[in-house]
Amino acid sequence: MSAALSRLRRASPAGGAIVAVVIYFALYAIYASSEASATSVFGFTNLFNNTVVLAIASAGLTLVVLAGELDLSAIGVIAIANVVMATTSVGALGWFGALILVLLIGAAVGLLNGWLVATLQLQSLAVTIGTMIACEGAALLILTAPGGEVNEVIVSGLTGDVFGVVPVALVVIACVLLVWLVLARTRLGIAIYAVGTDATAARLSGINADRTKLLSFVLAGVAYAFAGFMLSCQTGSGDPRASDTFLLFMYASVAIGGTSLMGGRGGVFGTLFGAGILAVMQKMLFALGAASFYTSIFSGIIMLVAIFIGNASSVLSQLKRRKPA
Amino acid sequence: MLPEPDAARAPPPAVRVSPELLPAVVVLACAVLLIAATKLFNPGSSFVDQLNAVLVTSIFLVVASFGQGLTILLGGIDLSIGVVVGLAAIMVSTLTNGSNAAIAWVVPATLGVAAFIGFVNGLGVAFARVPPFIMTLASGISFYGVGLGFTSGLAQRPVAPGLVSLMGARVFGVPIPVLLLLGFAVIATIFQNGTSVGRKLYALGSSPGAARVLGLPTAALNILVYTLSGLCAGISGILLAGYSSAATINIGDPLLLPTIAAVVIGGARVVGGRGIYLGTFAGALFLSALETVITVLNLSQGVRNVIEGVIIVGALLLQSERWRRGRR
Repeated sequence: MSAALSRLRRASPAGGAIVAVVIYFALYAIYASSEASATSVFGFTNLFNNTVVLAIASAGLTLVVLAGELDLSAIGVIAIANVVMATTSVGALGWFGALILVLLIGAAVGLLNGWLVATLQLQSLAVTIGTMIACEGAALLILTAPGGEVNEVIVSGLTGDVFGVVPVALVVIACVLLVWLVLARTRLGIAIYAVGTDATAARLSGINADRTKLLSFVLAGVAYAFAGFMLSCQTGSGDPRASDTFLLFMYASVAIGGTSLMGGRGGVFGTLFGAGILAVMQKMLFALGAASFYTSIFSGIIMLVAIFIGNASSVLSQLKRRKPA
Repeated sequence: MLPEPDAARAPPPAVRVSPELLPAVVVLACAVLLIAATKLFNPGSSFVDQLNAVLVTSIFLVVASFGQGLTILLGGIDLSIGVVVGLAAIMVSTLTNGSNAAIAWVVPATLGVAAFIGFVNGLGVAFARVPPFIMTLASGISFYGVGLGFTSGLAQRPVAPGLVSLMGARVFGVPIPVLLLLGFAVIATIFQNGTSVGRKLYALGSSPGAARVLGLPTAALNILVYTLSGLCAGISGILLAGYSSAATINIGDPLLLPTIAAVVIGGARVVGGRGIYLGTFAGALFLSALETVITVLNLSQGVRNVIEGVIIVGALLLQSERWRRGRR
């Protein structure tokens, strides 16, 4: 278990995640210096509302990536969650019943993905394209055109702030982080790192690798559904195509946050800042008066910068570790 | 013979059908069956007409999947394909602006830009050691922004009529795109499975460490593959612009994920070193035929997507069963 313990240490923010934190605050400083409302409660609320959906979805994706697999089904699950909220949250089910229903759907899609990948040994990159397309189809069947209505209680309740001080979206992100910090210290969390680093070695040391992968897909599915729930709160209506552009930015968040797409290294902490960077960068460029297309150009450049610095810092820390030995 | 890590360990079976050829042929057969099945729902049409229709619309995916297949062969991936297709299409329409005279310089220039984006990806992967997933994702997003910057505020311009008529013309009753498609498939097969460069790519894909020890030019091969992938996406974009006679910058987005699906359905492994071009070709044809057949069925978009998703998963399921039996 000593190998697993050293992996546990990697769960705590380090390396690439620190880079993401530094970039985040640097961008925020530029944004705040050129836009007076940035430091107001209204500005905070707005910023975190722009971050929360991508942050939660990317957090879920991080679990799958850490376990050494890829998952493209997120936008399908978000779409289903969005249209289900838009069609059921006002009716007899109520918003809470609709939330539970949505989370169950997310878990079910995750279970299907996990079964196909872990049990049937299909290649996750390809098979989740299939489930993603099927989920988008299901979303279109539930709601053929943009419309519907999301319960007013959550639309106003989850996009505002607590006592006029803390944005609700920030509280939600903090809760996701808390869940992650607990998860990373459980057997499952450690097993996810172990399986992602070397599935064969993990198996030999008594970890059920297939079950670990399966559970990471299920948790990711729940996270995507929750992201879809938050998206519904913000848009107040349903749109089966609303999540189409999310996919690449989810992977960008994960990569900027210092999680290796080969699995085993990184964590949700960095991913949340990765998603935050993409949101604050958009605000910053807007505040600076740059045309909107610069947002895309900068997203790509920041990804590469984060990877470069992350690589360099991990090489440095490896050198340091080697010296005393 | 293709270098295969498994072959060294297990004794070869008595009758050895290449484990790579079988899935390719099966998928190809499924594609033909799908095309034939459209006749059930659309009795008025002849098989040849259906075949031509599917082949013409499949050319974009077939061409773009070749590049994706090469990057996956090296254990990489190219996520910039959708963007490059869109950029090439918009470049052709914006620069030709409906004039045939401009084709002579616009097409080479467009292909040059597309290949350059691939070249940049290759440099990042080979020298900066950025993981391909991130390198191509980042460059795709950035170049999309550049394209958006160049075209923002411009009215949509018509594609040169020469390109439009190329996609609609026939020679001896055969649509020109079908001839282009077959020619492309032959060249691609020869390149990937018949040249020494192709063999080096398999060697590099199945064992990068061993390839380096052998003295293969790994950096050059990586750059070559990503440049070719960009070039193929560029060709696909130009043809797509001609086919739709207008272009938007997002026109290539729906092609990205199908290129990956086509390669994997054709029997490749995403870890690299496996799969032949015939498989990728069959996978691309299968997906295009599926799209066409589902469109003919006259169902709602939602039902179509569900069927398409289920069939993609089903195709992969058959693959894995066969793959496991092959290893036993």
